[in-house]
Amino acid sequence: MAPLASGRKTIKRKQVDEDEDAVPPQQELRSNGALEMLSDEEDDGDASSDDGQVDEFPEIIDESDSEDSDYDEEEEEEDDEDEEDENEEEDEEDENEVDESETDADSDDSLHIFPKAKVVTSKITNQPKTVYPEIEPEYDSDSSTEDTPNRVGNVPMHWYDDMPHIGYDINGKKVLRPARGDELDKFLATVDDSSAWTSAFDKNTQSEKPLTSEELDLIRRLYAGENPDASYDPYEPTTEWFTGKGKEEIMPLSGALQPKRRWVPSKWEKQKVMKIVRAIRQGRILPSKPKSTAKFEPYAIWSEPSSSHPPPLPAPKPPLPTNAESYNPPEEYLPTEEERKAWEAQDPEDRERNFLPQKYSSLRLVPAYDRFVKERFFRQLDLYLAPRVQRVKLNIDPNSLIPKLPSPNSLKPFPNYRSLQFYHSNSRARCVSVSPDGAWVVSGDEGGVVSLWEIIVGREVKRWKFEGKIGSLAWCPRTDVSYFAVGIEDTIHFVIPPNIDPAVLSLTLTVLAPATLPPAPTTPSPVKWLTPPSASRSEDTPILTINLPPSTGLPTHFCWHRRGDYLASVSTGGQQGGVWIHQITRRHSQAPFKKIKGAVQSVLFHPLKPHFFVATQQYVRIYNLSEQKLVKTLMPGIKWISSMDVHPSGDHLIVGGYDRKLCWFDLELSEKPYKVLRYHSRAIRSLQFHPTYPLFASSSDDGSIQIFHSRVYNDLMTDPLIVPLKILRGHTVTDGLGVLQVRWCSKQPWLVSSAADGSVAVWCS
Amino acid sequence: MGRLRVKGKAGAAKNYTTRSAAVKKLQCSLADFRRLCILKGIFPREPRSRKKANKGSSAPTSFYYTKDIAYLAHEPILKKLREHKAFAKKLSRALGRGEWSSAKSLEENKPVYRLDHIIKERYPTFIDAIRDIDDALCMVFLFASLPSNSRLPSELVENCARLSAEWQLYVMHSKSLRKVFLSIKGVYYQAEIMDQTVTWLVPYLFTQNVPADVDIRVMLTFLELYQTLLGFVFFKLYTDAGLVYPPPLDVKKEEQGAGVNAFDLQDSSRQPANKPIKVAEVDGRKITSKVVRQTIKAITSGDSEDVAGLNLSNPESTEADMEEEEFVQQSSKTQKTTTVILPTLQTLSNLPQTLSTSLFSSYTFFLSRETPRSIFEFIVRSFGGRIGWPSSSGSGSPFDETDPTITHVIIDRPVVEKQETPEQRELRLRRKFVQPQWIVDCINAGKILLEDPYAQGKSLPPHLSPFGEYEGAYIPAVEAADEETMQDEEEEGDGEEMDVDDEGNGVRGVLDVVAAAASEETSLRAAELAAEAAGVDFGTFEATVKRAHKKQVKKSTTDALEEAEQDMNKMMMSNKQRKLYEKMKYSNQKKEAERMHLESKRKELTKQKRKDRHA
Repeated sequence: MAPLASGRKTIKRKQVDEDEDAVPPQQELRSNGALEMLSDEEDDGDASSDDGQVDEFPEIIDESDSEDSDYDEEEEEEDDEDEEDENEEEDEEDENEVDESETDADSDDSLHIFPKAKVVTSKITNQPKTVYPEIEPEYDSDSSTEDTPNRVGNVPMHWYDDMPHIGYDINGKKVLRPARGDELDKFLATVDDSSAWTSAFDKNTQSEKPLTSEELDLIRRLYAGENPDASYDPYEPTTEWFTGKGKEEIMPLSGALQPKRRWVPSKWEKQKVMKIVRAIRQGRILPSKPKSTAKFEPYAIWSEPSSSHPPPLPAPKPPLPTNAESYNPPEEYLPTEEERKAWEAQDPEDRERNFLPQKYSSLRLVPAYDRFVKERFFRQLDLYLAPRVQRVKLNIDPNSLIPKLPSPNSLKPFPNYRSLQFYHSNSRARCVSVSPDGAWVVSGDEGGVVSLWEIIVGREVKRWKFEGKIGSLAWCPRTDVSYFAVGIEDTIHFVIPPNIDPAVLSLTLTVLAPATLPPAPTTPSPVKWLTPPSASRSEDTPILTINLPPSTGLPTHFCWHRRGDYLASVSTGGQQGGVWIHQITRRHSQAPFKKIKGAVQSVLFHPLKPHFFVATQQYVRIYNLSEQKLVKTLMPGIKWISSMDVHPSGDHLIVGGYDRKLCWFDLELSEKPYKVLRYHSRAIRSLQFHPTYPLFASSSDDGSIQIFHSRVYNDLMTDPLIVPLKILRGHTVTDGLGVLQVRWCSKQPWLVSSAADGSVAVWCS
Repeated sequence: MGRLRVKGKAGAAKNYTTRSAAVKKLQCSLADFRRLCILKGIFPREPRSRKKANKGSSAPTSFYYTKDIAYLAHEPILKKLREHKAFAKKLSRALGRGEWSSAKSLEENKPVYRLDHIIKERYPTFIDAIRDIDDALCMVFLFASLPSNSRLPSELVENCARLSAEWQLYVMHSKSLRKVFLSIKGVYYQAEIMDQTVTWLVPYLFTQNVPADVDIRVMLTFLELYQTLLGFVFFKLYTDAGLVYPPPLDVKKEEQGAGVNAFDLQDSSRQPANKPIKVAEVDGRKITSKVVRQTIKAITSGDSEDVAGLNLSNPESTEADMEEEEFVQQSSKTQKTTTVILPTLQTLSNLPQTLSTSLFSSYTFFLSRETPRSIFEFIVRSFGGRIGWPSSSGSGSPFDETDPTITHVIIDRPVVEKQETPEQRELRLRRKFVQPQWIVDCINAGKILLEDPYAQGKSLPPHLSPFGEYEGAYIPAVEAADEETMQDEEEEGDGEEMDVDDEGNGVRGVLDVVAAAASEETSLRAAELAAEAAGVDFGTFEATVKRAHKKQVKKSTTDALEEAEQDMNKMMMSNKQRKLYEKMKYSNQKKEAERMHLESKRKELTKQKRKDRHA
């Protein structure tokens, strides 16, 4: 209760300050006091000021800031006064009471006589002070204010909506909600009570309260749109203070004489005017130019020679109308119902034609074209908004773009049909090799079986069984000896085929298992060369075995040097990139690279020079073995190289990749491929040049083998000729793997291919 | 190390400017920039790399050449546009303050720009201008048919109508119209002027409405340029043809709806207020006193040639005489610098003309009232014909309906039986009644076609575009002819089968047929039946079929081989070539598909028709 009361008090004090002295404060308070039935907004205003003053509640409404400062001052004053008082609390309470009575009395000020205040001298300060007579709470005060039982203050009354009480009285007791009765009671009350319609609901007491006649008058005035102040007279007679009858000024303010310039024509003005007049007379100033109503008159603009500037390019002309645009087109141009619907469903910019063909039997029936203006507009937008690019329009037969190559028929022989097929059961034929005399084929599968068979009839002569997958097979290129290498996990076996010439056999035996072993290398090698004792030798067991260091993995690639003494092997694992070079006569293996960047995919000996090609995943490096240095790095631009082969002349290299590309390098030319071909639809697995014929073949996971004619010229100026000859199909793709290896027969244009379906095919010309 | 290159200082970054940068540089509003671009003919360019041109940003913008913009910056019109902006501010202020007199004087001194220099810049030679008047003519013809409103002042529409009439007059005078096409959009005309083809489109005579989503300001800016361009072009064309430009307009005639006849084509060698030259008409050709004088001269010089021939159709022989002829040069009021080119028969005959330009010279037409007079008067007179029309189509018809010289009546209404007097009947029998398409088809064919298919009330043959289609497109006329011949052949074949019994030769024919039909099962069946009917024994029949099959298989295998070879050769193509090849193949296939579609439709239609006919 305290904050509310003090807040209200301060407001009133302020009003008092603003008021003129003549008006007694009480009067003013009464006339200006707010009604008790405050609206919510007023409540807010009050509450905020209260808070600012007493509780120092942090939330102060902005509008009240300026006022707050006033309040503060006043507060101080008030405090002073309070100090003056002896019985502070009493006073405070009294004042509260007074305020209450004041505020309530506002409504009926004329009816109520306020107790007179008297001025006494303070005992403490000896200053005069106004003392109001004490008010008896029960009897002395106004009946309307004597017991505002509810002391909750200006809180929103809906807080108590759910409560049985509506607030608390001065003693902190609950003030119970007065019985309001139902709608019928209310109605009856209005009927009974003649003043019911002039009463308003008081939220604080939760009851109806009659309005005073002043309030009613105020309401009436507001309704009528009049000034709410009854004492205001809008039609007061004017009081003329300075003007009007009898107040005219007769005497001039100053007695000075009029200057001459007021009544003599100016000389200078005359001079200026005369200047203009003269100018007009002489025609220097034209009196408002004749309005250029003259319309545009064409003249011979092209009679004088044109400038040397070239004319800007003329805008492209719109296409000329076709038969479909005719008012009477042949019937086949008329759209069917579906075409019409499709056309209508399309976006206007996607349409091929901006109109639908229509047929009219007669010219007089042709209606106006509704998009005429729009089409002209779009044409103009095209003219000034569309970027123009000059394009060369090729008017050629597209087939002329296909390079003219010699016909494959003129480039025979090349393999073009499958002559026979050999099967490995239930496993992929991973590798294949053809003997240097071209009569035998060995093929190995993932089951560990190596078969030797004749190339002409396909009869299997011998079968070896090894443990583990066969990684690669390679027949020794020497013709005076006959054996082949088989690569399985961590091991390379050398096997002599059966039924060979005794002279060859004896020579082979001396090569692979000499009676006196060459001296062991000085440095201990991790690679062990083992020869079974001659007693336990048989055709079924290898004559020589090289044990690669453990965890080297499967040798995936073999490459013989052309003399047949060195064999290079590439394994899947190992520290030196898995590359080993084995020398048969010295029974010695060495790793040419201590460390190599990237995983080695394939290696090759140069056919003529002591060069060694190493294909890592993305690059092909050429090393000089005698000088022990890097010669060249080729960049095929393939993501993952799968295989490579060098041309017998040693000047050209082909590289195939798992990303379907085949690159042809001219080693004398550049490190970039001379030609990149991409014709297989899946990864390239294997490729090889024919040793004698100008052919090369590539096999792919799409199950096809592509035969090319590749003629290389000694003349440096002539580019090699590459002609696609034939696509050999016949292998089936299993598990996404197609033809895994292709090898040429060295004397005939025959090709042997092994595939993932377990078949090994011979393709003949 | 070379010099460091600062990014954005050279190359595409410098050569291209975005539109907003251009507007900023020119310090004008976007609307003014648009106006400038339209008037100067500057258009956006497509840089090779948008990113490089736009400082690494790939935001969608339009690019202009920086040099184009620099060239715009010196444009006098830009200055005028700025002046106009200031003027608009001043005027609005004056109006806002209610200073009417100053507003009026401001309005009187409104800055106006001229486009002469732009015309000269954009079209350095007259040929350049002629090449580019297509769009201008289309626009002028369109605006001549638009209703005037607050956005379209009536003077503008009037001027457009005048320009279009002047153009038509010139084309009629020079007989340079070549092709006409009645489309659903309007009428396409193609004229040949100074060896340049000019094509323009005229809407049908209906009130056009400007849709709300069309920015009329753009169109008006274009129109401004086009009007100026056409003014200069027409001036040159008229003066070259020895005519006065602009042709004086007879207001009275125009009010009566005389159309193009309201303008009076005046020979510029004539004195402006001269006594009227006697003009007689012989066979629709004007003969002036000058020509008469020439012929007299020719006669007196003792030439044995036929006088009429010399006079009318052989202007070459008079060349020498013409050079002697004195000529009083007349400087017109509008032009001071140029000399008027001698308007002699020589220059007139040098105008591009082909034989077909006098296609209708021996005919006299009468338009029925439902045919659009503006179109057909123009066409017929361009090809030397005489034409008349009823007074309901406007005044100025040289003859009325009862004129006995009328050979053709262009009529576009269904035949209605009605009572007629013997006179009318006689007139009707003497004239030919044709539908309007006949005229246009005659022109496009370059000869007078038979009137029968175009007679009144008949369903017309299709009207085809005279401009042709792309190469290899479906050609309806040819297809139709083929079909006819095929039909004939078929009929003949039927006949052959009928009388095959008594001729040994016939048996061979049947076998040929059998061989041809061996590819399809159904036709084979039919052939078998036929062979049986022709008395061929089954053994021979079998053998023939087998042989044919073998031949076919062989053919197909060789084809396949060749194709496979080509396919293989494709792998040797470079990437660029392959892409180009694919693109070309695609477009060719598309065209082919369209052609096939039309052909199949045609076949179906004919089948349907035949069925209907039989039924």
